[in-house]
Amino acid sequence: MPQKLKHHTLTGLMVLPLFLYLLAFAAVPLFSCVVLSLTDGASNAFPSLDNYRVLFRDDQFGQAFQNTLWLTSLGVSLEVLLGLAVALVLQRLVWGRAFVRAVVLTPLGLPTVVAGVMFIYLFSSTGYVNEFLYRLGLISAPIDWVYGGWRSLGVLLMAELWKVTPVVAFILLAGLESIPETVYEAAAVDGAGAWRQFWHVTLPLLRPSLMMAVVVRAIDAFRVFELPLILTGKSFPVLGTLAYSEYYEYDNPFTSAAAATVLLAIIAACIGGYLFLMTRRPMEGA
Amino acid sequence: MSSRDPRSSILALRSSLLGLLCLVLLLGGRASAGTELSVMMGLGEGEWRVMRERIFPPFEEQHEVKVRAIQAEADQAVKKLVAMHRAGRMRVDLITQDVLRLSSLIDAGVMRDLSEQREAIPLSALPQLIQVGTFDGALYFSPYRPNVQITYYHAEKFAEYGLQPPRTWEELLAVARRFKEAEGVGRVLLHGSLDVNTSIHVMEFIWAAGGDPLLLNDAGSVRAFSFLQQLAPYLAPETRLANWNTTNTFLATEAVYLARNWPFGVNLLVQQAGKTQIKAYHGWQGPLREAHVLGGEVIGIPRGARHPGPAVEFMRYLMSRPVQETLVTALGWPSFRTDAYGTLETWQRPYFAAIQEALRYAVVRPHVTGWAEVDRALVGAFREIVYGGQPVEPTLARYHQQLQKARQRLR
Amino acid sequence: MKRTRWSFWWHLGSLPILLLTLLPVYLMLKISVSPPAEVLTPHPTFGLHHVTGEHWKALLTSGALWPPLLKSLLVATWTMLGAIALAAPAAYAIARLPQRWKYPLLLSFFASRMIPEVGVALPVAVQFLRWGLEDTQLGLALAHLIRTLPFVVWILAGTFETIPVALEESAQVDGCHRLQILWYVVFPLAAPGVAVAALFAWLESWNEFTYALYLSLTENTLPLQTYYYVIRGSWFDAATYATFLAVPVMLITAALQRYLKAGYLMGALKG
Repeated sequence: MPQKLKHHTLTGLMVLPLFLYLLAFAAVPLFSCVVLSLTDGASNAFPSLDNYRVLFRDDQFGQAFQNTLWLTSLGVSLEVLLGLAVALVLQRLVWGRAFVRAVVLTPLGLPTVVAGVMFIYLFSSTGYVNEFLYRLGLISAPIDWVYGGWRSLGVLLMAELWKVTPVVAFILLAGLESIPETVYEAAAVDGAGAWRQFWHVTLPLLRPSLMMAVVVRAIDAFRVFELPLILTGKSFPVLGTLAYSEYYEYDNPFTSAAAATVLLAIIAACIGGYLFLMTRRPMEGA
Repeated sequence: MSSRDPRSSILALRSSLLGLLCLVLLLGGRASAGTELSVMMGLGEGEWRVMRERIFPPFEEQHEVKVRAIQAEADQAVKKLVAMHRAGRMRVDLITQDVLRLSSLIDAGVMRDLSEQREAIPLSALPQLIQVGTFDGALYFSPYRPNVQITYYHAEKFAEYGLQPPRTWEELLAVARRFKEAEGVGRVLLHGSLDVNTSIHVMEFIWAAGGDPLLLNDAGSVRAFSFLQQLAPYLAPETRLANWNTTNTFLATEAVYLARNWPFGVNLLVQQAGKTQIKAYHGWQGPLREAHVLGGEVIGIPRGARHPGPAVEFMRYLMSRPVQETLVTALGWPSFRTDAYGTLETWQRPYFAAIQEALRYAVVRPHVTGWAEVDRALVGAFREIVYGGQPVEPTLARYHQQLQKARQRLR
Repeated sequence: MKRTRWSFWWHLGSLPILLLTLLPVYLMLKISVSPPAEVLTPHPTFGLHHVTGEHWKALLTSGALWPPLLKSLLVATWTMLGAIALAAPAAYAIARLPQRWKYPLLLSFFASRMIPEVGVALPVAVQFLRWGLEDTQLGLALAHLIRTLPFVVWILAGTFETIPVALEESAQVDGCHRLQILWYVVFPLAAPGVAVAALFAWLESWNEFTYALYLSLTENTLPLQTYYYVIRGSWFDAATYATFLAVPVMLITAALQRYLKAGYLMGALKG
């Protein structure tokens, strides 16, 4: 049995640094954030729901809440669809494979802020998209893209898609490449055409990859920050930028922490709910 | 998978790690300097260039110090300084700070009392700029430069439609309506970015109607907001993103034809972008008077600064006549000293005249604890009334309540 | 047979992908070399009509070009090294754990990725200030690790899981002790997965904005400097800086795309 004890000690020692690190730098600050959100800013009384009350009364918060949910749900769905399309193309390429892969990877290497800069130039009222539409004769007065509403949502979605699709494409590509050729051959023998093969063979086998892509992306998508900050500003608030402006402009770290806590709660609820639903259904396997 | 794959990956991994480590060791170290004066300012690239090339070197030579420049916007500067002060690690020796962003620093006790430096302030100084740096009778900030927003307009477009730059609110409404009807999209811009920029513009409208932004429900405020609501349909859509920075872009790309903004845009628009058709004047007046928020910057020294001696010297240097004249000439900044005459280029003169004229109507924003709450109320009212079309009086009454409650709690 | 018939369409499908990915980069390049008249107008041009080097010259002589680049490079490297050093041993240990321990543990580590940076950055900044870590590369790397570690542990745990225990056991029978096994048996096989995880950690840090925003005082990182150009700069500064970044990034990704084999991610997927 000393061998086993030694084994467990070694295991413990290997996991310990990571565990301690996450405790100190993730758990403790998070705890501070939640505590801060429950502290009354003026009187320092604890616990107090005052910050949340102020926040919920503010209609900017309601807007930010909705915007975050819309942006995430539409964003993740589109990213998975587009990522799947790109992954399918990448899988079947024969000529120019390295070149296309290198190009597709480029947005990954550019900071999000830089991607945002590009889209500012594209979608400003005298930007390239408006100019393109104008030259095609489709519009005569410039369209206001980034000044709130569904158009701003669209612009943000496009910017995010540009930046993030490579990640999703690669996760799905991994999944696609792991499906053995024999499975397709068997399906072809059974008389299944390309579309049926895709629907009944590829997609079910791709399920773990798709789930992983959704979870990975959703966690990050809820916390969208840089793109709304520089593309749409206050005209399309999201919870991340709201929390930031509460602290930065209104000097109120308490309501800032409250907004961040609400964001955390949404993320936990959505991810938890999604995983619960997905793992309850029986796996369809080949 | 061939057995070569893992090995070549290992080789790649090892060699890239080694390469990166070498890079890190070579470049990671930072050289130490002699006496280093850390100066925090919020400037654009062109302005920093003038500082680095013309303002810093003479001081550095004369006093044998190295000036280390730290770029921080006004809000950022407040956060950093308060954080450093609370942690007892003040790394900044001198700051130039926006006059509209001083109260947080004072409330947190960050700044050093400079009352003994009062005699260093020249007699030719603009009294309002000294007033703005004085809190409870003590001087915390020395004057540096006054600033005021001027109104830019696209002269060619105005001429095309036979319009004059508006001098009153009625004319402003007429101009906005004319552009909207002729071109199908609004061409008149206000700072509607729903932050401090907006509250400045709103304050100017309120003052011009004789109201008090700290009350929000008096007759002047109601008048101002009613007018803004009337103006709303004819405003440019860019208003939602317009702040002191983006306004220049909108003017330069000719997306808007009339906009009020700080004068630094003159250098960008006329000198850099060559848009000579964009001219400026002092602005319009409301029912009661013309009012502009007095902006600008003042100089302060934080408590616990590591080199207070050189910092005071640098402060005096910045206030000195030669430096002030350089700032006028190179950056087009009006000086706080009436005896500093820079040499202006011909193209600069009309804009400078507009600035001087607007300064005559400058109003000092009162010192009040928790100005952030006032900002919040002004911005909220603007959002609901101008963007949301809500009825003016009930909305203002509500914000009045909210503001009174918030200010009570802060006392 | 079916594959070659569809092959043409799939190859054609790569064209819009290329176009949409490269178009923004091209436009940045165009703006960075265009005279003001072509950009600051209600109707900008698309082609390269007049080319000027004035914006590049201004950027290159401003002295604000290399320091942020350097800071970002160094912080990213520290983050990558730290991530591997902290995560690899833990991931190995976790991979060898029995099922009922493994998943809750991995899940709890992964849950820490859900933390919004805007909420946590302030307490972290306050604490770092007390420790004198504010505005240092080390401090920023430590903050970046908060984001990166969970994912790296996840990828590496998956990687180590694919290495059969039987291999280690047979090495043990041959008389090697634990460390030798790790170095000569486990590490070579795990190397591709470690490479992917390391690259991922590096990219995350390179891209990171929020912690840098709260933790930097005098030295900006690359994203922060770009942000400065957006909120403060002239129109050409931001575009020129973006192009300055985009071109080397494209070259590097072209060189590295060989190593980013999608298969290495499969290990993580099996988890």
